[in-house]
Formats: sequence, C-alpha cells, structure tokens
Amino acid sequence: MGNICVIGPTGAGKTTYLAALAYCPQVNNQIFTITSVTEDAKKIANKAQTIIKNGASLEPTIIDGVKIKSFYDLPLYQFKIKIKPWLKKADEINLVVRDYPGEIFNELVSGIYNELHLEFIEECLKKDIEGCLLLLHGWEDNSDNFYSQVMGKFIELMDKHDRSQNLRIAVAMSKCERGELWPGRLDPENDIFNVHLPRTKSLLRQGILAQNLQFYAISTFGVLERNDPRPNRQDETDQIGSSRSILRIPKKWRPYNLISPLYWLSKGKRMRYGV
Amino acid sequence: MGVVYIGDRSVGKTHLAFELANPQGQYVKVCNLNYDNLKPIFLQPDGTARATSTIDNRTLDVQVQLSTGRSQVSVEWIDPPGEIFRVPWQLEHPSEWNSFLETVRQSEGILLVLPPYREILKPDVNPETYITQEQWSNRFDRWTKFFSYDCPKARHILICLNMADLFSDHLDKEAQTLAFNPYGTQLNWLQRHIYVRDRYFFFVQSHLEEINRIRGVSGLSVRCFITSIYNRTLLELPWIYLASYLGN
Repeated sequence: MGNICVIGPTGAGKTTYLAALAYCPQVNNQIFTITSVTEDAKKIANKAQTIIKNGASLEPTIIDGVKIKSFYDLPLYQFKIKIKPWLKKADEINLVVRDYPGEIFNELVSGIYNELHLEFIEECLKKDIEGCLLLLHGWEDNSDNFYSQVMGKFIELMDKHDRSQNLRIAVAMSKCERGELWPGRLDPENDIFNVHLPRTKSLLRQGILAQNLQFYAISTFGVLERNDPRPNRQDETDQIGSSRSILRIPKKWRPYNLISPLYWLSKGKRMRYGV
Repeated sequence: MGVVYIGDRSVGKTHLAFELANPQGQYVKVCNLNYDNLKPIFLQPDGTARATSTIDNRTLDVQVQLSTGRSQVSVEWIDPPGEIFRVPWQLEHPSEWNSFLETVRQSEGILLVLPPYREILKPDVNPETYITQEQWSNRFDRWTKFFSYDCPKARHILICLNMADLFSDHLDKEAQTLAFNPYGTQLNWLQRHIYVRDRYFFFVQSHLEEINRIRGVSGLSVRCFITSIYNRTLLELPWIYLASYLGN
C-alpha cells in the first residue's frame, strides 16, 4: 500500500486534482481503471460530478477547527488503480492519499509555530509515507523566490526526520492547461521548471537524491481538444472577483497526466503510458 | 456548522423555509417536517406568514436529488425575527443577540433573504412598502461588512432576492432559464449567478466582488438567487446548490 501525501500552497488545486482522480472511472478510458475505496474517495468522486461538472469549484481544505481539528480529520482517499495497456501485462497500484491544507505549506517559510500544523508536517514525514506529491501552480515573477524558500525548509525538515534518503518527491506544475505552460508539458523539468522556477529546481536537485526526485506537468481540467489547446477552464476572477476557477466545458473534460506522478511515487519507476 | 437564514423584517424568511416542506417538491424534500401540521403554526388563516417574534430553532432534514443520487443535508433552521438586525433590538436583548451572532459565526452556509426594491416592482404592486434601490444598496453595505469580517466559518453565502413574483413579469420563463436538471442543464452555477446578478444585483456588483476578494482565501464565493414561494423551481435552487457541497 503506497501512502502518499499531497502537499502544496493554497490554490494549487490539490483537492480538485484528487476529485478528478476519483472521478476518472466515469471518464471512458481503456487503459486505466480507478476504484475509489474509502468513503472519502467516493464522496469526492460525487462532488466532482455534482460540483465541478456543474460549473462550480470545490471548497479548499482548511483547518477550520470544527471539521478538521487534527491530522486524522483530513480526508483519506484510498484508490486502487489498475493499468492495462494493450497487449501488455496488467499492473496495479494501491494508494492512500492525504490531502493537506495549503496553509501549512504557506507557513513553512516563516516557521511553523502552530502545534497542529507541526503535527501535520510530522505525519507527512513519517516512515510509512512513501512519497509526497508536491503541487505548485505559480510560475510568475515572485513564485520562484517563495517556492525556493519553502523547499529549502522542507528539505531541512526531511533531513531532521531522517527522510532525506528515502522519501520520493514528485514535483508537479499543476494547472498546465494554461497557455504559458502547456507547450512545456512534455519535458517539464527543462521547459517549465528550468524556465520559470530555476532556483527552486536547482535547490531540489541539490537537496534530494536524483532517484528520489521527478518533475511532472499535470492538468486537472485539460485543454478543449487535441487541436484546440485553449484551457478547459474559466477563471472566476474576471467575472465575479473570486480567485476560484471552474471547468469550462464539462463534456470535454480530459485531465492530463494525473496518474503518472502517483505511479512513480508508488513504484519508483516511471509509467510509460499517459493519461 | 449549520445553515442559517438571515434577513430584514418581513422579507418572507419563515415562509420561504416553511414552503420548502411542501410535499410537492421537485428535487427537494423535507423529510422530518409535516407541511400540513406546520401550516397553522406558521401561517395565519389568510395564508400569510405569522411574524417571527423569537429566535426559533428547528432541524430540517433536506433531501435533494442530485445526479449522483439523493443527498441529505441536515439544516439547523435558525429563524430569527427580522428585528434582530436592528440596533435597538440588539441593545434590548444582548444575550439573544450574542448567541445568534455566535451561531452565525459557526455556520457553514448562510442564506440572506432580501426584499425587492421599489424600481423593479411590477406596476400593480404598491411601491410604498418597499425601499428604493439606493436605500437597498446602502443597507447592503452592512451585509458586505458582516460577510467580510463577521462570518469566518461561512463557506457559502447565498443571497436570495425574495418575492420574485412581485417583480418578475415572466416568472415561469425566468425559472425555466435558471432551472436545475440533475442530468444536464443549460446554465451552470456560475452562469446562473451571473445571470441573476446582472439583472437584479448589478448595482451592488462591487460589494459582491469585495466579499469574494476578502473571503476568497477561505474558499468563499457569494451566489445570488431569486426566490419565490410561488415558484418551486426558484425556491429549490439555493438548496440544490447547498446540497452539492454540504450533503451526505
């Protein structure tokens, strides 16, 4: 069983990513079959259908002190992913994923003083965690500076918890349907991270063993068509002043590359089939 | 972490919630209340709602038919008298006011029910009993501040311009445009909100954006609706929206 943590700043799209993953069985796919195992995974799959597909966005995961008071209140998503490529042997991964509130990631730079937040980080770096999927969404001017500081702290914490040699980190640029990022998706390390987040990338390469670090580009909403790479998403900012985004055309919902970072985190080898 | 109704006096808050229990619902049903038994409690013999004089707390088990099946929302129906938002009432009833405020601050969903303003009323409606658009907008300043700073737990703020039958000449057509269908509708939630905002809330657009901007970090986004007890489609819409998020 692969225990995976999904971490990243507020607004990186962690919960929406997991909802799309849970909802995938309803999207026709001949290679992948994803089964939601836990109640939380089933619930979020339903939410993908009733909220995302109806032009609204999921609520962020926040420590509100009521629903989420401790690490164990975080939603626990367990998936069974079967991969059956044409004429090849079937493969299967079992994943247990925790969706972390973004505020913890945001706080890493200034130092975590809140005991509850500290508990979340401790859990994330425990020995039974095989890997972390680190979702980043910023690529503009200040993002590199912020992310490099956060990653510097995270690497220190990995070291402190004796995980610097044995924790896989998949760093993924999320929301890659954006025009500035979409062309770089095929070689994200060079064409996205080197270009937009060079300090962060270099720091990660220096601080984490090569075999424990991979870079990915993912897009939960995807683009409209193969030959129409406009993002299948609409930002609410321009229309109602909210920072949220919604799916533009539900019928054309084709997420990009959701499974391969999880496959690598779980198996330690790269998946040869895209989704 | 319930859902709370708030709003000014005589805007039909009680009637709106009560009418939801009407068994002739399309997608929304209230399982734990009997409409006929409640009728004499909430309505006067002429069919109009009795004014709420105290803070009434009830539980509503609202069941909504979504595309994924039935979704159940347990609602703490906290129905305060309209006077509660007037300063003299608050000064006279400090403990009730503070207790209500505390409940609102813990609520996940808030339905603000507002009356129509004079300028949009149909010609046959007496305008004297309704405030002007300017007065309405000035009062909305108070709600903007309230939502921006006083409701830290709220994730869903639904603003309902009630009594749509008094201002919409083509209520059925409007309802048809906004209608929800669990298996695919012509408008999505964002488009519905923009449709209603541009027609009925356009003059407070900057207020709505301000709430979204200030509270956006906590994932809050305001949604506007029009409601009427005489149109089931419009009556159900806010609940369908809430059930998508809060339902089990």
